Amino acid sequence: MKHFRKGLFVGAAISLLALTASAAVAETPKDQLVIGTSLAQVLSLDPQQATEGKANEIMCNLYDRLVLATPGGKIAPQLAESWAIDDKGITFKLREAAFASGNPVTSKDVVFSLTRLLKMNQAAAANLKRVGYNADNVEKLVTAPDERTVRIDLSGEVTPELLLYRLAMVTTSVVDSVEVEKHVKDNDYGNAWLRTNSAGSGPFTLNRWTPNEIVILDVNKDYVGGEPKMRRVVIRHVPESQVERLMLERGDIDIASALSASDLATFQDKQGFQIQRVPTGGFYVLSMNAGNQYLSHPKVREAIAYGIDYAGIEKTIMGPYGRVRTVPVPENYEYAISSPDWHLDVEKAKSLLAEAGFKDGFSLSLKTIAQTPRIDLATAIQASLAQIGIKVNIQQGNGSEIIAAHRARDFDLLIPQTGAYMPNVLGSMEQFSSNPDNSKEANNAGNFVWRSAWDIPELTKLTAKASLEPDAKKRGELYVEMQKMFVDLKPAVLPLFERYEPIVLNARVKDYVGHPNMTTRLEAVTKAETE
Amino acid sequence: MKELSTSELGRRVLQLIVSLFILLCVTFVIGRVMPADPVGAVVGELADPAAYAAMRARLGLDLPLYQQFFIYLTGLLQGDFGTAILTGNPVSKDLAQAFPATFELATLAVIISTFIGVPLGLAAALFRDSWIDKTARVVALVGHSIPVFWFGIVGLVIFYAGLNWVGGPGRVDVYYEGIVTPRTGLMLVDSLLEGEPEIFWNALSHIILPAIILAYAAMAYITRMTRSFTLEQLNQDYVIAARAKGVGPANTVIGHVLPNIAVQLITVLAISYGNLLEGAVVTEIVFSWPGIGQYMTNALMIGDMNAILAATIIVGFIFMFLNFVADIAYALLDPRTREATQ
Repeated sequence: MKHFRKGLFVGAAISLLALTASAAVAETPKDQLVIGTSLAQVLSLDPQQATEGKANEIMCNLYDRLVLATPGGKIAPQLAESWAIDDKGITFKLREAAFASGNPVTSKDVVFSLTRLLKMNQAAAANLKRVGYNADNVEKLVTAPDERTVRIDLSGEVTPELLLYRLAMVTTSVVDSVEVEKHVKDNDYGNAWLRTNSAGSGPFTLNRWTPNEIVILDVNKDYVGGEPKMRRVVIRHVPESQVERLMLERGDIDIASALSASDLATFQDKQGFQIQRVPTGGFYVLSMNAGNQYLSHPKVREAIAYGIDYAGIEKTIMGPYGRVRTVPVPENYEYAISSPDWHLDVEKAKSLLAEAGFKDGFSLSLKTIAQTPRIDLATAIQASLAQIGIKVNIQQGNGSEIIAAHRARDFDLLIPQTGAYMPNVLGSMEQFSSNPDNSKEANNAGNFVWRSAWDIPELTKLTAKASLEPDAKKRGELYVEMQKMFVDLKPAVLPLFERYEPIVLNARVKDYVGHPNMTTRLEAVTKAETE
Repeated sequence: MKELSTSELGRRVLQLIVSLFILLCVTFVIGRVMPADPVGAVVGELADPAAYAAMRARLGLDLPLYQQFFIYLTGLLQGDFGTAILTGNPVSKDLAQAFPATFELATLAVIISTFIGVPLGLAAALFRDSWIDKTARVVALVGHSIPVFWFGIVGLVIFYAGLNWVGGPGRVDVYYEGIVTPRTGLMLVDSLLEGEPEIFWNALSHIILPAIILAYAAMAYITRMTRSFTLEQLNQDYVIAARAKGVGPANTVIGHVLPNIAVQLITVLAISYGNLLEGAVVTEIVFSWPGIGQYMTNALMIGDMNAILAATIIVGFIFMFLNFVADIAYALLDPRTREATQ
């Protein structure tokens, strides 16, 4: 017994020494990029199914599309080397490229992918369906005259230019039809397989995805744009912000996203690190249920718009996450109008409430996802609306609870967030300005405005008109008109802050340019030697 | 004796099955009345109602509750836990992946806590009110009262970020990810089987901190219980007789007291182990540990019922099984229990 105990102690001492020695290495390899983030929302890596931001960031490196939108917002070629626009549609010429499987990328694959998107008919299809493409007409409108040519006819509800932006989205990624068809089961379009595998022609391939643990991408050596510098990209699920911060400081990860404001602040001006504040073109929004007896009054909604301390919230809560903006178009976009004069003005808000007949105030519930910074935003709104006589009860929940309540119109106030799918007025504003049928029976839960029961027939018409206007200048005028009308209607979907995604990078990482649509490509990223 | 044991065994197995069934019913009902929306999680926030309804039907959620439960039970009897919404995998496959991670962590933690907690408890009882006893009490109190979350973060700040003694969150460093083929699912074992000592040491450097932190909380309980069991024995006549015969304090405890409290201790250890195996949710989140605790939390977040039910059954089963084993051990080790059943 004594010997055993002695042996145990010696063994423990040796182990401790060995541990100390082996843990001293703390630097990611030069040819591997390690990203720390929360993967909790990633439920699928099938580009024709997943729409969540993190999934997009992964998929946009596995797949190429016909065209892409650059971080600056211009349309650029990707699988299409050129395209010609005529009155009836767009004809794309494909470049010579191959999938990671070795199969050539042909026009058949493009047609297959777009058809697959619309026939699977999940949230990913929403952006094409909104402009008239659907499961019934896709085979007629999207065709392959020859192996290298793809023809997409206009649906009649979109201009070619705006169609190009929709084709630049990750959901239109071109998948390897030969590979996917091998894995079709029960008419599922290969979805069960493609959810956890990749069949693309992008710079990386999917080596492994273990939900809530890790995603490993391997380099596609034969990538048509040249072999990327990173041999591997590892995306690690780190749900705790403080832990993520430690890992970045220690050098175990190169890039940290989803950091809390206080952890982010510790990297401000810190040597060896850089902060990128990536604009999303989206907003933190206060959704008001216009079906509510109080919120149906435009004056009440205006009172609320005057009852929020935007400047104070920006300073104390939003910090790197957002900037005050009460028009749903980022200020730097072409044709953006300036924000209306909504600011905290207690007297004015009170008099508006009195005009609406509610001078004694009332109570409302406010639902929000329990997540930084939205939960703090909710608390600040509660405090500031209390000043004008509106008593707010906050109800927190997890993502799926709050989204379910939003979809079911089961809320008074709710704080969702949006993103822009193309970097222009329509891309950021359309979801705020279009609600074709407000009736409850329409049950159009995928529509952001419908969820707030905000009936806006004229603005909807104007939005449709703008998406169809072929002349750029006239379209610009319509864009301005849309924004003015939106403000005049005292929106039930009130944008509060333009949303940014701040990320912190180890200074060794070069040429990482955060993309506004969460489609950051990694093929050009390099890493310097240790500094 | 043998016949009796068999019928006793049968009775207990039946008890186990009934308990599991009740657990299943309760979890199912709670899960279904939860406001989470698994369909929305799959089809996406912007999906139109048709796509939403189609997915709802595909997941079988449009059926009445009792039918859903019946279908689930039928599948279960055939060994089919269903498919997880979260991962798209069969739940059994997910659990086969998540459980070993928790098992490895919990086992190491229970070993550490036993090897420290039991001697500490014995010493505290033997030298009652001495500095050892007081220290043990403070240590136990701290272990009981400070949240594991705080310990986790502070542990990482000191030993990982500050002193560089241990590996960070996750089971191994990123450049070792995917090298070892999972055979048992236990990283420490698999790396050795594969002949990768470097990965073994790396995995050990990653597991040691979360294991110690978990062990600390468990140790607090084990120490306290060991102390009180021992104190009880120290007042017994046989101990006084032994002491009168001139047996030293250490030998009294090891040779006489320990065998007498072994049975009670086994129950305490089994409970501690069961608690650890349930998946230390907070520890797993802090250390990005891909175990069953984290798996269940994420499944709960989106209302992924198949995953929640399966994980609950597994956890419930382990708990009941450990209790069962403790009871059997009781019967084997303690002649009094044996005679009582006769």
